[in-house]
Amino acid sequence: MMTERNVSSMRGATAIVGIGQIPYYKRGTSPEPELKLALRAITQAADDAGIDVRDIDGFISYASERSDPAKLMPALGTRECRFASLVWIHGGALAGTLNVAAGAILSGQADIVAIYRSMTEGNSQRLRVAVAQNDTSSQYLVNGLDSPAQILALRAQRLMEHHGVPRSALFATVQASYYHARNNSRALGRATEMTREIYDEARMISEPYRLFDCSRENDGAACVLVVSAERARDLRQTPAYVLSAPMGTMGGGGALEENWRPYYATAGQKELADRLWRESGYGSKDVDVAQIYMNMDAMGIGSMIDHGFFAMEEAGAFCTLDNLIAPSGRLPINTSGGDLAEGFIHGMGLIPEAVRQIRGTSVNQVPGARLSLVTGGPGDLMSSTALLGSADTL
Amino acid sequence: MSYSFEQHKIVGAIEADDDYWRGLEDGVLRLPRCASCRGWTWPAHFRCGQCGSWDFDWVAVEPKGRIFTYTRTHYAFDRVLERREDVPYVTVVAELPDAGNVRLIGVLKGDEAGLAIGAPVRGAIDPPSAKSKFYPALRWELER
Repeated sequence: MMTERNVSSMRGATAIVGIGQIPYYKRGTSPEPELKLALRAITQAADDAGIDVRDIDGFISYASERSDPAKLMPALGTRECRFASLVWIHGGALAGTLNVAAGAILSGQADIVAIYRSMTEGNSQRLRVAVAQNDTSSQYLVNGLDSPAQILALRAQRLMEHHGVPRSALFATVQASYYHARNNSRALGRATEMTREIYDEARMISEPYRLFDCSRENDGAACVLVVSAERARDLRQTPAYVLSAPMGTMGGGGALEENWRPYYATAGQKELADRLWRESGYGSKDVDVAQIYMNMDAMGIGSMIDHGFFAMEEAGAFCTLDNLIAPSGRLPINTSGGDLAEGFIHGMGLIPEAVRQIRGTSVNQVPGARLSLVTGGPGDLMSSTALLGSADTL
Repeated sequence: MSYSFEQHKIVGAIEADDDYWRGLEDGVLRLPRCASCRGWTWPAHFRCGQCGSWDFDWVAVEPKGRIFTYTRTHYAFDRVLERREDVPYVTVVAELPDAGNVRLIGVLKGDEAGLAIGAPVRGAIDPPSAKSKFYPALRWELER
């Protein structure tokens, strides 16, 4: 037990009790529209939890989700929608959705909250609208910068050239992701035996990023259901308690067109991680397994640095295949294959996998995992991070 | 006279930088300085977050600095397809020590030899063209 805590009242007060993750499709090839994928993910999560889908009374998504609850309700048979919220910014919001859900549940506004994300390129032109959200400023577009891949490449160049994080660290995260993907039937990268040759020979996208440094872009949907801790205890699945899920950014961050002042080359998550440890009562050394959002691999390394798993100058020594894989690496990451090798629907696949690790049902299980981290989009204008725990971590 | 960029406005961001683009179209790099606390405010905004003033002076700045970071783009991305034939091209973020170390983005012009973080660069201004979406464009050149 922790002796000194500055915990939030949300600590352990809610839990994830249902997960839904439909098979991913190669971008632009989903046979079904994204609204239908959202319905499938939500109903699957309800079935998983043993909850009547009609009883879901809260709906939360993030970024530019188009499948709003008003469109979902008629097909879900929703008895009453009592809470609906879209969390700001892009993939940075991922983990912060859990905090919004906890706020709704603890304040009595909703009892069963679905957090979901659904995207198909055909419906929402994900790359242009749903990820970039058409809020890229003229300062970028006039100067040949469009994609998050390019903008995050600016940070990666600084992380590598100025701060000395080696290429081998990036490759290790890629290799670990593909290593884990081999056991995951959902993973689109499961057939790729990732070698340094394949990695090095892949086409350059935006330096320093080559193809495999980038997240995949897929059609798909995923959902998790959040309820109060009391309700969770009566349901069929092992609850994954939400210990802390802070969202935000530091002063001197925000929409600043590469003018972040306090620090630039990592993920912008130091302050979030500080809050995470303070609110949860745990620290980086206690984490058993981590789902690290990797829009781009170097940004994921930035997340791990910001969370205190290793210092900038230790990245090369820490990021090796052995250290990053289940069952016994120092910090197994992205045990489903993650954004790089499972597939990418704005990071939403990471939360179900973080839950599986607490349940003990991952295809790359870390034995006895009790504390399971999931980080929000690194380098986003605002971001978030969350720590899930088993009952004995409360 | 109306400015080219005003006819081709890119929307969706903070959009307080019209005077920056007007300056470049007039051939001058101008950056906003808070009229009250004199802090450099970049990217341009509507209110000084440091002192609360709503007034800014757009000050001419010599376009010289050093490379803070950069990327060489090897793929013609969707919304910048105008640069397709220039791929690969280098976009530089340069810090300006004479203007509070604000960082300005520009496509590298000229020889790439010596491209590195910290390298000194000097700005040139391209008039509006299709490549820069009919905006004027600050270009960074490595100092020789």
